[in-house]
Amino acid sequence: MSEHEQRTPVAISGLSVDDPHLQPAARRPELVERVITILFVVGIILCVGFGVAYVQNWAPWTLGATMGGGLSFLGIGLIAWGKYLMPRGPFVEERHSLASSEEERTAFAAAVVERGGAVVKRRKVLGGLLGTGLGVFGVVAAFPLVRSLGPMPKGTLFHTDWAKGTYLVDITGRRVNVSDLAIGSIVTVFPEGMQDTDNGQAVDQTVLIRLSNSDFTTMKGRETWGPQGYVAYSKLCTHLGCPVGLYEQELELLVCPCHQSMFNVLNGAMPTFGPAPRPLPQLPLMVDAMGYLQSQSDFKEPVGPGFWERRS
Amino acid sequence: MVLALALGAAPFVAVTPASASGATGSSGVTGMTGTSGSTGSTGMTGTSGSTGATGSAGMTALRSVTMSSTSSPFQTTRFNAGTPYSSIVVKNPKTGAIESYGNSAITYNVPSSSLNALGEALYMSNCASCHGVAANGVPSGGTSGSYPNLVGLGAATIDFWVASGRMPAANPRAVQAERGIPRLNAAQAEAIAAWVNSLHPSYPAIPSVNLASANVSDGQALFALNCAACHTIEGDGDALAANTYAPSLRNIPAYQVVEAIRTGPGNMPRFTGNLSDFQVRDIVAYVTSEIQHPRNNGGLGLGGLGPVAEGFVGLLLGVGLLALVGYWVGERE
Amino acid sequence: MSKTKATKSTNPYGKVGDILNELDDRLGVAKGRSLLDKVFPDHWSFMLGEIALYSFIVLLLTGIFLTLYYIPSSSLVTYHGSYLPLVGQKISEAYASSVNLSFAVRGGLLMRQMHHWACDIFVGAIIVHMARVFFTGAFRKPRELNWTIGTTLLVLAIAEGFLGYSLPDDLVSGTGIRIAYSIILSIPVVGTYVAFFLFGGNFPGTTIIPRFFIIHVLIIPLILLGLVGAHLYLLVRQKHTQFPGKGRTENNVVGTPMYPVFMAKTTGFLLVVGGAIALLGAFAQINPIWQFGFYDAARISYAVQPDFYMGFLDGALRIMPAWEFSGFGHTIPLEVTLPSVVFPGIVFTLVYMWPGIERKYTKDNELHNLLDRPSLRPKRTAAGASVFALMAILFIGSSTDVIANFFHMSLNTVLWLMRILTIVVPLITYPVTYRICKEMQGFAGAGKRKTTNVVVRTADGEYVATPAPVYVDDAHHELDALPVPTFVVESDEVAPSVAEGAPTGVRRAER
Repeated sequence: MSEHEQRTPVAISGLSVDDPHLQPAARRPELVERVITILFVVGIILCVGFGVAYVQNWAPWTLGATMGGGLSFLGIGLIAWGKYLMPRGPFVEERHSLASSEEERTAFAAAVVERGGAVVKRRKVLGGLLGTGLGVFGVVAAFPLVRSLGPMPKGTLFHTDWAKGTYLVDITGRRVNVSDLAIGSIVTVFPEGMQDTDNGQAVDQTVLIRLSNSDFTTMKGRETWGPQGYVAYSKLCTHLGCPVGLYEQELELLVCPCHQSMFNVLNGAMPTFGPAPRPLPQLPLMVDAMGYLQSQSDFKEPVGPGFWERRS
Repeated sequence: MVLALALGAAPFVAVTPASASGATGSSGVTGMTGTSGSTGSTGMTGTSGSTGATGSAGMTALRSVTMSSTSSPFQTTRFNAGTPYSSIVVKNPKTGAIESYGNSAITYNVPSSSLNALGEALYMSNCASCHGVAANGVPSGGTSGSYPNLVGLGAATIDFWVASGRMPAANPRAVQAERGIPRLNAAQAEAIAAWVNSLHPSYPAIPSVNLASANVSDGQALFALNCAACHTIEGDGDALAANTYAPSLRNIPAYQVVEAIRTGPGNMPRFTGNLSDFQVRDIVAYVTSEIQHPRNNGGLGLGGLGPVAEGFVGLLLGVGLLALVGYWVGERE
Repeated sequence: MSKTKATKSTNPYGKVGDILNELDDRLGVAKGRSLLDKVFPDHWSFMLGEIALYSFIVLLLTGIFLTLYYIPSSSLVTYHGSYLPLVGQKISEAYASSVNLSFAVRGGLLMRQMHHWACDIFVGAIIVHMARVFFTGAFRKPRELNWTIGTTLLVLAIAEGFLGYSLPDDLVSGTGIRIAYSIILSIPVVGTYVAFFLFGGNFPGTTIIPRFFIIHVLIIPLILLGLVGAHLYLLVRQKHTQFPGKGRTENNVVGTPMYPVFMAKTTGFLLVVGGAIALLGAFAQINPIWQFGFYDAARISYAVQPDFYMGFLDGALRIMPAWEFSGFGHTIPLEVTLPSVVFPGIVFTLVYMWPGIERKYTKDNELHNLLDRPSLRPKRTAAGASVFALMAILFIGSSTDVIANFFHMSLNTVLWLMRILTIVVPLITYPVTYRICKEMQGFAGAGKRKTTNVVVRTADGEYVATPAPVYVDDAHHELDALPVPTFVVESDEVAPSVAEGAPTGVRRAER
């Protein structure tokens, strides 16, 4: 029972019922009480209304309106009760020092240091080994947690599914023919067979634009890449990988909708504005005997945003 | 191979024999090839194309046609893609001129030549001061290239710009003309289109869409892939580079959607052989239903601006209002 | 404590007293009476943290509802529901279940919208509450730990929100996931590995939605619950801070007692917060995923922004110039890493370390239970205002295209404007705020409530000013604060078990 006495609660006190601290804050408590009554009644009605609205399957907004209104009215009534009708106070509470007394602190430090020190001092090697063991376990425990999550990147980011002779198809799988598009047209294309796959859409996606009726050269060394005016660029923005679908045919700009990087279509999709650092890789094209467009090879550089292993 | 089979199997009424190649401008219009099946590629490279097997005269040009030099800016050899190379072609029995073409999804109607006189009058008083009396973009006393050349662009192009209120230009110096209250009504727009088209008949003609049996779901998929990048998935439009912008689609009538898709006005790319008329019809169905009448089950649409507007409402109305309630709950001092 | 078998209780407080005694027999609850007496200062700015707490409760409740319907899977299903533009398309189960929840489940759309609005309000309230704590210096000793917990709560809340709105796998949030993937890729040395491990391979893969789901529904909520509990426990143990004023010292707390006044007001506030969120969920549409369509890596929409609490990241990414370092066989995309990894890292590290920074700078190791008026600490207020202005400008910068469209300006102009403002506005905010604080200091009673007067016109036309009746909230300031009474004594009674000769006295004992 001695512990109980040491923990006797503070400040048992009494206050007269007429004390101003216990009076309601409102000047006209009866009026306030009447208002709160109305608030509560409306709140109850609205809450019941929620039930009705649900059972009767009324429009979705009625569900929220009744629930919201009901809760709000009840809440406002309760706040008003606490604020205007309950003892207005103010009341005070002493802050006792959080810090313990000097003796207690010394005792605490002694318990931690002396007891613990006594153990470790005598068995330093054991303590060290224990620490090492737990540390090693912590490290190796992370292996499955991290490594098992997914595959190593290896060379995945360096290649797409475009290769020599791959046909360009649109989202419906239809091959694109050189006679299909007018100048100023754009179509999103994928390697044949890949238009419905995740990789095809995420990585291989390419925009095909017709710039003229005769072969188009965007840069030196790319004279054969633009047969009959068709040029193809990777649709993955080199900034953060959003599809660069926004083509302004008079300005000859491809604009990325995410952060408004702008690429000049005529000179190899060089970025002219915005945060993208590198041009969109261009897909070398060729035309088969029937006029269908094919890729000459994969992109000459990794598509999409930059990463550490990317050489340039 | 596929194209040749399509050509062979097509149940269309007539075949236009003229083929064209080369740059934009003034040639005979269709560049389509006949059932004997050489593909359009030959047309594109500037050599004369092969002629059709069942040859009746196509849309005759009123000007002399140089077969090898030019073709329509909307060239495509794809079937049912906005050109007279379509399932149904209706010709005037007397003159042989194409009056309409199309299929069950979209019918393209060449405006009647009876409108030419009205159209010419309207053109001269509204358009000639900039686009010139010959509609070639050379105003009197001006230089070539001052204003766009309207010849050979097809009736749909002219009709779109005038009927949507962009032309006559309210501010000729603006970078991009905006949709506005049209100064010329639809009939007048068609008349002007009729006259300008008569100078050098071309395609596409003025479309009218049949939305019955449209597939709104396919339309949504096509819209998301082709249109949302500029016009936003909600169809509200947004600012593009250098003071250009993609306009909102909330107010556009169905046939103008087709006109815009097929002709690619201004900076908008044109969708010719990359979308068939059936696909365009599906897109129009999606635009006129879900874009223009969005299903806002959740309450007020907040302008369809997405998280920007929602953030404002959440912060101002949500946190702000609740902070005001907190101001009431607590003390001032 | 022997119980009589009679039905009539001998306890002076009747049946309730008996129940309390039974509880005390088992749990010792009577010793917790001090909890009932706890005094809470109730300045209105202390309510802001409660908005966050109660919106968190709404999040938990609505979230439980949503987890019963949402399917966290990227497997494709064909949609056959009531929303025509999606019928027949192959969409992920996650998206299908979210659309289903919006259209086919009664009350589902309301719950979805309440959940999303509650999240916006949650993060917004945390930010506002944190600003209050910062500007009044409540993070000082002994509350540095609470500041650390609170900052962690903010970071987790932002992450939780991002994960949450990415779960429906719609076009807008899927674009955000693509951007997040590329940001992870851009981290030097380990970026590709972390991205491939987290996503199970190249983007998009099929594991990210289920992983986001479990992190959003289990891992982070558990951490949040623990941290919120610790945050509240510290608050109770260290007691709340208060503004200086009449009768308030570093060693007391003046306000309303926990039971019944504070509990009534705070429970009412909980109901109001819930009600406000429900009203928003009823009338204001948020995240209409059916209009966006499902996410497909080849699709993109314009005018895509993240939710506002991620806005500062998007803005930073937009305005960053296209600097990329590549050499020695490697590439560091600085235009990505700097604004989205380094910049937030610096900012949040600063925030975490702020109590230590201030302590070092002001050489003040004292305990502080009284708050500062922000104008009395001009340097801290100005510094906080600058950082706030920076974040606000970056947030505005995330909607460059919307601004350009709305004001008919060139996109390029708007971007350059944002670049300049990002540097200039925080730099200007510091001295301006500093000056405003200094001016307020020189003004007696600045920011305080003035006593009101009633002006009366006499019959002669003279104007006389008399003090107005005291406002309800200020009325109790006229009185001196008293300890919370245990007994209420009728005027002619003597309170039982109170020391003789002191009917309204106080007997103090060591705790």
